[in-house]
Amino acid sequence: MDANHVFCGIVPPHMLDHLARSGSAAVADAARNALRMDAFHRERRLSAVAGAPPQPTVPGAGTPPDAAQRCAESVLRRTIGDAEHHQRLPGRVVRAEGQDAVSDEPVNRAYDGLGHTHRLYLDAFERDSIDDSGLALNATVHYSRHYDNAFWDGEQMVFGDGDGEVFNDFTISLDVIGHELTHGVTQYTANLDYSGQSGALNESMSDVFGSLVKQYALGQGAAEADWLIGEGLLTDQVQGVALRSMKAPGTAYDDDVLGKDPQPATMDDYVETTDDNGGVHINSGIPNHAFYLAATALGGNAWERAGRIWYDVLTGGKLATDADFASFAGLTAAAARARYGEGEEVQAVLDAWKQVGVPTGSEEGSAVVRQRSGTTAPTPTI
Amino acid sequence: MHIQVKRTGGFVGATRRAEVDTSGRSDAEAWHSLAREALASGKGSERAGVPDGFHYEVTVDGHTVHFADPHLTDAQRSLVSKVLKEGA
Repeated sequence: MDANHVFCGIVPPHMLDHLARSGSAAVADAARNALRMDAFHRERRLSAVAGAPPQPTVPGAGTPPDAAQRCAESVLRRTIGDAEHHQRLPGRVVRAEGQDAVSDEPVNRAYDGLGHTHRLYLDAFERDSIDDSGLALNATVHYSRHYDNAFWDGEQMVFGDGDGEVFNDFTISLDVIGHELTHGVTQYTANLDYSGQSGALNESMSDVFGSLVKQYALGQGAAEADWLIGEGLLTDQVQGVALRSMKAPGTAYDDDVLGKDPQPATMDDYVETTDDNGGVHINSGIPNHAFYLAATALGGNAWERAGRIWYDVLTGGKLATDADFASFAGLTAAAARARYGEGEEVQAVLDAWKQVGVPTGSEEGSAVVRQRSGTTAPTPTI
Repeated sequence: MHIQVKRTGGFVGATRRAEVDTSGRSDAEAWHSLAREALASGKGSERAGVPDGFHYEVTVDGHTVHFADPHLTDAQRSLVSKVLKEGA
């Protein structure tokens, strides 16, 4: 079997690991078999899981590993380029798929980050790379000089080194890498307009799935996760812990040079501005916080239910390119019902939007969905 | 020559402003030359950027142009970096 032929299951590897060590004899056997299926998978399990194993949670908790699904073959193809402080993209190729780590750490962090992001999408959402058709993943490091940013240029990721005074190297945070690649996923799916509320939703999608990439790699449940975006990116000269906080928007930093984190947590503090494409990185705090509230209310691993619901909306074909917060919120409630039926999932979603002041506007609409789903909805997976 | 740069957007979403007045500066001619070169290829209106890309509004003696990453020429990159680094 090709080393890049990955095993993709609904049971995360750290859970298989746990089952292999502590399940009943039959379960442990099956888990060990699942773990043996792929060298890449095993390598990742050993490298990514740090600290105590997370508590298994629904829906994977009681699922025997032999129920794990075999996904369509997915080949991970990564290439890291070095812009050598110019603006050239993709730059000189310094590490390609399967090659050993190099001495330049930003290159290795970008390479590993692409792998972690690819794995979350494949394992949790059965998505084959960002276009769901195995798109090669490319990133360029050392872009320009003292460059305080990372971006997705429509085809690849680009990372600056930071200025060293306020910002460190932008490859430092795994969630930043997941964030940028998720811009690619959004581009290939809902393609949300990058301005105003749809732009803030575009940004929020990147923060949500960026955070999930990190949580999945660390094996952290919603309760253990830090819900920070860009943790480690600010130098120790800056008063702040990260660039954004999904748990407490507006509290990530408060510094003489950088100013104060401007993110609102609720619609009461929505910021009207023409800068930043109408505040796409500012008002994203509101849907970010809604996701955090829904995920923590449900507990367990955030990528399993809350993440699944958000992913269903992003990729479901009903989200308009110019969607506002309310229409997105209504779709999450409908998606929760469609996948899980009437239960704690839809309630958690509705409560979350209510707390941030976004009307789901869909009590009528969702009543229709509810009636319809009574006969046609798929069996809930729990 | 009065050169102002306003940078918005980016992953952080914070706005940065800086300006340089070249009158009386010993390196004034170098600034003028760089500014002229940068503006020669600038677009007069907002150019669509990319997700998380910076947008730059550059005003030279009342004349404003907009740039967006990653579509900057070397002269434009050099000018905005220099103003943001050395300007007040």
